[in-house]
Amino acid sequence: MYARESVRVAVKFRNNVQVRGSGEQAMMFAHGFGCDQNMWRFVAPAFEADFTTVLFDHVGAGRSDLSAYDRQKYSTLAGYADDVVEIGRALGLKGAVFVGHSVSAMIGVLAAIKDPELFESLVLVGPSARYIDDGDYVGGFSAQQIEELLSFLEENHMGWSAQMAPAIMGNPDRPELGEELTNSFCQTDPAIAKEFARVTFLSDNRADLAKIKARTLILQCSEDIIAGMQVGAYVQRNIPGSQMTVLKATGHCPNLSAPAEVVTAIREFV
Amino acid sequence: MINSLMGDSDFEDLYENAPCGYLSLRPDGRIDRANKTLAGWTGYAADDLPGLRLSELLNMAGRIFFETHVSPLLRMQGFFDEFALDLLTKDGKRLPAIANARERRDDAGALLFTRLTVLRAADRRRYERDLIDARKQSDELKVALEERLRQERENAELREQFIAVLGHDLRNPLASIAAGARLMLKAKTPEDGLRLEAMMQSSVGRMAKMIDSVMDLARGRLGGGISVSKSITGIEPVLDHVVAELATAHPDRGIETQFELETPVFCDPARIAQLFSNLLGNAISHGARDRPVRIGAMTKSGVFELFVANSGASIPAEARKRLFQPFYRGAAHGPSEGLGLGLYIAAEIAKAHGGTIDVASSERETRFTFRMPLEGDGSLRPG
Repeated sequence: MYARESVRVAVKFRNNVQVRGSGEQAMMFAHGFGCDQNMWRFVAPAFEADFTTVLFDHVGAGRSDLSAYDRQKYSTLAGYADDVVEIGRALGLKGAVFVGHSVSAMIGVLAAIKDPELFESLVLVGPSARYIDDGDYVGGFSAQQIEELLSFLEENHMGWSAQMAPAIMGNPDRPELGEELTNSFCQTDPAIAKEFARVTFLSDNRADLAKIKARTLILQCSEDIIAGMQVGAYVQRNIPGSQMTVLKATGHCPNLSAPAEVVTAIREFV
Repeated sequence: MINSLMGDSDFEDLYENAPCGYLSLRPDGRIDRANKTLAGWTGYAADDLPGLRLSELLNMAGRIFFETHVSPLLRMQGFFDEFALDLLTKDGKRLPAIANARERRDDAGALLFTRLTVLRAADRRRYERDLIDARKQSDELKVALEERLRQERENAELREQFIAVLGHDLRNPLASIAAGARLMLKAKTPEDGLRLEAMMQSSVGRMAKMIDSVMDLARGRLGGGISVSKSITGIEPVLDHVVAELATAHPDRGIETQFELETPVFCDPARIAQLFSNLLGNAISHGARDRPVRIGAMTKSGVFELFVANSGASIPAEARKRLFQPFYRGAAHGPSEGLGLGLYIAAEIAKAHGGTIDVASSERETRFTFRMPLEGDGSLRPG
């Protein structure tokens, strides 16, 4: 009993797991590449009345435990999926709803395959089973564009401010240094973010889709340059019995730009 | 009181011709308005920009970054400052820039505009790129230096062992030769002389072997590994010869062989004989005296496999890790034993053939297994 409790605490600490709301059924929200659980700040609260909501940060993002980052483990999406399964088991989830945005849609797919008891429903927001074009398959990106992205990410201040963090913590008498951390949400460790980007954009989960047993809803944005209509349609065609709702929202983050529409679509599904 | 010299038309001019680019986006991501400075930089006519999507002014990396990083933060905190951005000019050129973005919302919180201020920053961005590259280089250099240091330490350790070997192990046979030479002068009968000569010959043989081993070590460490000259070899006579040699030297020890060698092996026969001799010699010196040493060799499914197994005490797990290191000798080694280079050299020979040597040791038996691909091209993974 004690061992299980300590595992539970360790997992919750590692992924900064936040449990809110009330309800017999749980709804777990997973953020994608580039942000943290703040991504769900306009969506998750709407479900707190009817569900136990579970939010977390992937290792490397937000307030996760950066020291838990293991390059080997997180060199594939399976490592992140293992964490989702561990969080689910640590909380004793059964037949929960998994809501995954962007790359976390596929992380949820892998977790659902690994432990089919955990989630009875999947909501995949802006999913892509593969970002890079491959023969007849149109993912939307060329391998070269992804390499450019990885190099470009190094040049952005997202990373620089995160590197500032230790300096600030070491200078409590100089609060003005704290103000330089202007972008205070969605902090990501720059080195990890770059590897996460690589894992995300080079992933190929097309073969996994057919293994999904959970009922699945795909939420597809109208104009999404990261996961376009044909990419979402591919996911829908290949997950048995899945359904797709096309949102009016544009862009890749309807959970931020059109939270009401997302909430309605999820509510109708669950 | 100071009166500003600026009139409304000057404000219009400040907007249009400011030393930075201004861009207002509608909630749907399309450009609502852009100033002349930005139009000039990007090569568009000022009237062409409104209606375009911002993404049309970005390369793919910039679009992804904007979608995954800038937009979310703008929605959450209303601003995003100091991000790098590459604008694409009308004729497809890249314009490195730094930008700040602010959202403008109405009282009800609905998004009206997103405003971007763009600074051309080719030099600044190049400088930052150089910094990143320099940091990468210095990281790589650090890794290389640490590896170099590790190698140097290892070499220094080997050198010490090397000197210890020369100073200690070579002295024993040398002393026995010197003693033989002294006794030779006093030898009374031709039989005495022959006996002494045979003894001295054996000491010379031991010294020669030690020197060969040390030379192999030096070649293996300092050069690109042990030298081999491979040819297509019928391997059975090579193995038979080694068995005969050691059986003669140890007439009291039983050796059981089982060979199934149907295919020739692409290898250096002299080196394979050396490897085999080292393994068999070890098995004879360390195995239980009352139990036979078992040898098996076969060519099967593209692999040549050779094992040497002996009964007797097992090798502790701790020692097993160090067996193949140069100068490693078991805890209870006698003065007549070798330098502790036999297994190291055997492993180097295996490596030079794209093969491996594995050891398994239990109460029942200790078994060394050498595997190599029959053809020269394939390499075996350590298994």
